[in-house]
Amino acid sequence: MSTETESETSEVQTADDVDDAFTLIRINKRARQVFGLFALVVFGWLFTLALDQVGFAVSEIVKYWPDFEDALGQFFPPGEVFGIPFVDVGAYWSFIQERNLIMQVETNGAGFMFWDWTVIPGQMFVTLAMGFAGLVLGLPGALILGVLGSERVTPYPFNFIFRGTMSVIRAIPALVWALIYIPLGGVTPFTATLAIGTDTMGNLGRLFTDALEEVEDGPIEAIGSTGANGPQRVIFGMLSQVASPFIAWTMYILEINTRIAVTMGLIGGGGLGYVLQTQRSLFKYTNMMATILVIFVLVISVEIVSQRVRSYIRGTEESQGLIALIVEFPQRMVRSIWQ
Amino acid sequence: MIEVSNLSKSYGDIQAVDDVSFTIPDGEFVVVLGESGAGKSTLLRCLNGLTKPTEGSVSINGESVMGPRDDVAMVFQQHYLIEEMSAYNNALTGALGRTNLFDSLTGRYEKDDKYEALRSLRTVGLLDEAGQAVGQMSGGQQQRVGIARALVQQPNLLLADEPVASLDPASAERVMGYIRRAADERGLSTLASLHQVNIAREFGERFLGMKDGEVIFDGYRDDLTVDVIDEIYGSIETDAIRSEAEA
Repeated sequence: MSTETESETSEVQTADDVDDAFTLIRINKRARQVFGLFALVVFGWLFTLALDQVGFAVSEIVKYWPDFEDALGQFFPPGEVFGIPFVDVGAYWSFIQERNLIMQVETNGAGFMFWDWTVIPGQMFVTLAMGFAGLVLGLPGALILGVLGSERVTPYPFNFIFRGTMSVIRAIPALVWALIYIPLGGVTPFTATLAIGTDTMGNLGRLFTDALEEVEDGPIEAIGSTGANGPQRVIFGMLSQVASPFIAWTMYILEINTRIAVTMGLIGGGGLGYVLQTQRSLFKYTNMMATILVIFVLVISVEIVSQRVRSYIRGTEESQGLIALIVEFPQRMVRSIWQ
Repeated sequence: MIEVSNLSKSYGDIQAVDDVSFTIPDGEFVVVLGESGAGKSTLLRCLNGLTKPTEGSVSINGESVMGPRDDVAMVFQQHYLIEEMSAYNNALTGALGRTNLFDSLTGRYEKDDKYEALRSLRTVGLLDEAGQAVGQMSGGQQQRVGIARALVQQPNLLLADEPVASLDPASAERVMGYIRRAADERGLSTLASLHQVNIAREFGERFLGMKDGEVIFDGYRDDLTVDVIDEIYGSIETDAIRSEAEA
């Protein structure tokens, strides 16, 4: 009974409050709409400026479309597979064989020997070697910079010396590092490997620092309470907690390095990218596509191995399916070019 | 001999430990009782130098405690072990204070330390599980590895901060049993903070009751009456605990 009268009186009292609140909400909504319109105009203006800057023109696309169509025909040469019309797989395969893109097995000659077989590693392995050697070369630097960059190892203002170093390294894309190193080693896979190593220090070091921010205080304190010294506390208290994430991130950087190694070839660094670049300047589009297919096989293989290792380390079965890997491939390839 | 004199610790306005003084003769097993927030953890952390007191001092055998040291060992409530490493390697980290960086990194501990680690694991009944990864052990087993690590330090003082608070009653009893046994075997002075009055009475020798940062009770088993427990915890209704305290 008493509650009923209370609610009735309060309803009368709040009638004006509700009106006020409603008006306030309406004003806010109008303000948001005006701001949204303004933002849209600014956004559109910036977009036109950008298009202007790059000389974007639909008329160009229309004009050169027949040329592109012609090129497409060479990218995917018509042929037959078991009597069904399909691209000419044989044309791809003969180029892959001719230029030794994957590997050649012979019964005599130079290369690695297995019984009386001789394996001559192809361009694919040059690319893989650049990525892997770059990873190993960059790993010590990444470890040192990454660990010292953590606020929990180096006190606050000083850790920025190491974080800053990594930021500077990351700010310069791997391709540009290769240009910087050209006076040191010429336009060779060696230079490319140095560039990838440098890039690894910046990227992997940053990932290490981030992983270290996640460690728990308890075990560090416990190790400290045993009378351990500073470095022992860092190694046993902190690094031991992040051993598996570190390995996982290292595998991830191997994936990225393999993709960067492909792009290194485009500036003449050797490997598959270089073959791609050469065939493009010769307008041999069929050969280009054959090389792209080998790149595809290489990068996907490295990713599969890396992800299997990572999910094994984590002890969980959350690795992606093969389909997902292939579907996302173009995105990752594009991203890695300017990473 | 452990001497605590006029120890105070405040965090901003909060007085966590307020003018606490007591001495513990060698080999005594002391249980600190009190509600959550009574200042038990802060007291223990001051004793092993993880926390710097605002006022007062702690000294062990005449030497004052300035920071973490290898002759004071601590067993933590959340065990704080390295879960990726084996029980044996976790126990061995207790010897870090005696081992230089290079040797500890490459696993070249003194042979005595390696034996000490295995002996400590035997003390807590885990010799057969020495090679097992700690992450795969049960809570009670993990806590026992924590005890083994503390023992490998060969401490003069063993501290245990609510070592059984997150364990089931049976494991709690077993873990307390191992701590008591280890302390007796090695003649260790021990200071353990506990919630559970019944476990405290079972294993404790001397009792410190804390409330709001002050020690309001200091005595032996016979002095720990139901009134004292009421005073420390506020009134307790549970029959079992009352009868245990009255017994």
